[in-house]
Amino acid sequence: MELALASLPFLWQGLIVTLQVSALVVTGSLAIGLVLGVAAAYGPPIVQWPIRIYSDIIRSIPLLVLIFAVYYGSPTIGLALPAFWAATLALTVFKVAHVIEIVRGAVGSIHNGQTEAGKAIGLTLMQRLNYVIFPQAMRRFLPPWLNSVTDSVKGSALVSLVGVVDLMLSIQQVIGRTYEPMPLYVLGALIYFTINYSLSLLSRRLEARFAYIRE
Amino acid sequence: MMEPLVQVRRLVKRFGATTVLDGVDLDVRKGEVVVVIGASGSGKTTLLRCVNALETYEAGSIRVDGVEIGFRDEANRVRRTERELAAIRSDIGMVFQLFYLFPHLTATENVMLGLRRVRGLAKEEARRVAERWLTRVGLGDRLDYLPAQLSGGQQQRVGIARAVAMEPKVLLLDEITSALDPELVGEVLAVVKGLAREGMTMIVVTHEMTFARDVGTRVVFMDRGRVAVEGSPAEVLTRPIHERLRGFLARIELKEVESTL
Repeated sequence: MELALASLPFLWQGLIVTLQVSALVVTGSLAIGLVLGVAAAYGPPIVQWPIRIYSDIIRSIPLLVLIFAVYYGSPTIGLALPAFWAATLALTVFKVAHVIEIVRGAVGSIHNGQTEAGKAIGLTLMQRLNYVIFPQAMRRFLPPWLNSVTDSVKGSALVSLVGVVDLMLSIQQVIGRTYEPMPLYVLGALIYFTINYSLSLLSRRLEARFAYIRE
Repeated sequence: MMEPLVQVRRLVKRFGATTVLDGVDLDVRKGEVVVVIGASGSGKTTLLRCVNALETYEAGSIRVDGVEIGFRDEANRVRRTERELAAIRSDIGMVFQLFYLFPHLTATENVMLGLRRVRGLAKEEARRVAERWLTRVGLGDRLDYLPAQLSGGQQQRVGIARAVAMEPKVLLLDEITSALDPELVGEVLAVVKGLAREGMTMIVVTHEMTFARDVGTRVVFMDRGRVAVEGSPAEVLTRPIHERLRGFLARIELKEVESTL
């Protein structure tokens, strides 16, 4: 136990990296996925199908394969990304596909009559999205999206496999020096649990806020 | 003679291989209430949706107050942009069969949305206008209710308030009572009658023949994508000569008799 405590400052560095990767992936994939998801729901077919193909392909590739592909593949196109950025990029590319599907599902669940009612009073597309569609789609968007946020935090552990010293890899490095796997893996699990459990508490709160009566 | 407010000329609308509107001509003058009747599939609703640019059309033209609805360049058939359509639609009111109120907004907020975001009114001003209209349609005591907390008739009256608060040049009513329980129809039609008395120009698609007779300045019978008969309510509804119109009216009457049994 004192061993675990002694390793805390070192693990702290790893935790910071894990949080950085997760935050970058979550915000990046949200921004890109939101735009592509709306385009997939409302855009003309010429816009819709490339997005669909992207999302279908990416979602059927294991995350680890994507991370290796970006990390080992980027030098071959003359763009040798550092491990941190290669892994973050791969995770984002993966997550974008999921956010697209979540956005498309949430936005698509809103009855077309809502769009028509918005059009009828003269709202532009952006206004309809802002004031009519998004507030209603939020209810359907939040639960799966917050789920995918915790997935991102968990998935970020895979970046350790290309040598990014995140929480996972720092745990393994401590074990490598001490040969005491159990206490450290338990500690690691606890830290991941704390992050994700706080996220799911937050998500329950947010969901309650958008749970207005409907229809 | 003044140019009609709404001018539909040889309007053609197809859905794939089906021709829904097959050369419709219709004029609506300011202050007129034109009632459109016809069997389902005759194209009445599609006609309304074309006037409000909710549908595109393949041929012909629709002008509202002199402005072509579907095309910015009629000769070259260049369609309008989203922004132009939004501006055009803001001057044309539409009330839907299934209300389509915004479920996350209160009655007042439903009416305020267009006033604020499209007309650019300040929040307080928009609220005042919205409350005035809601009071007019008899919902002064339901201002802060969400749609889910209102009856169908009340929801539809919010729908009407939302449309007329924008002060549209013409109001389109698409079977606005057909989704209502019979005992709620009267309260909605009373609101429409009030608007008609005040000179609101309207195109009304309905199956309520009594209503058509009471408020219609003109009745149009649509059949197979065309205007088959057009005239005063008395001419069209009381002494129909057109054979398919007679059939249609007989079927409607039968249904009304059945519903009272």
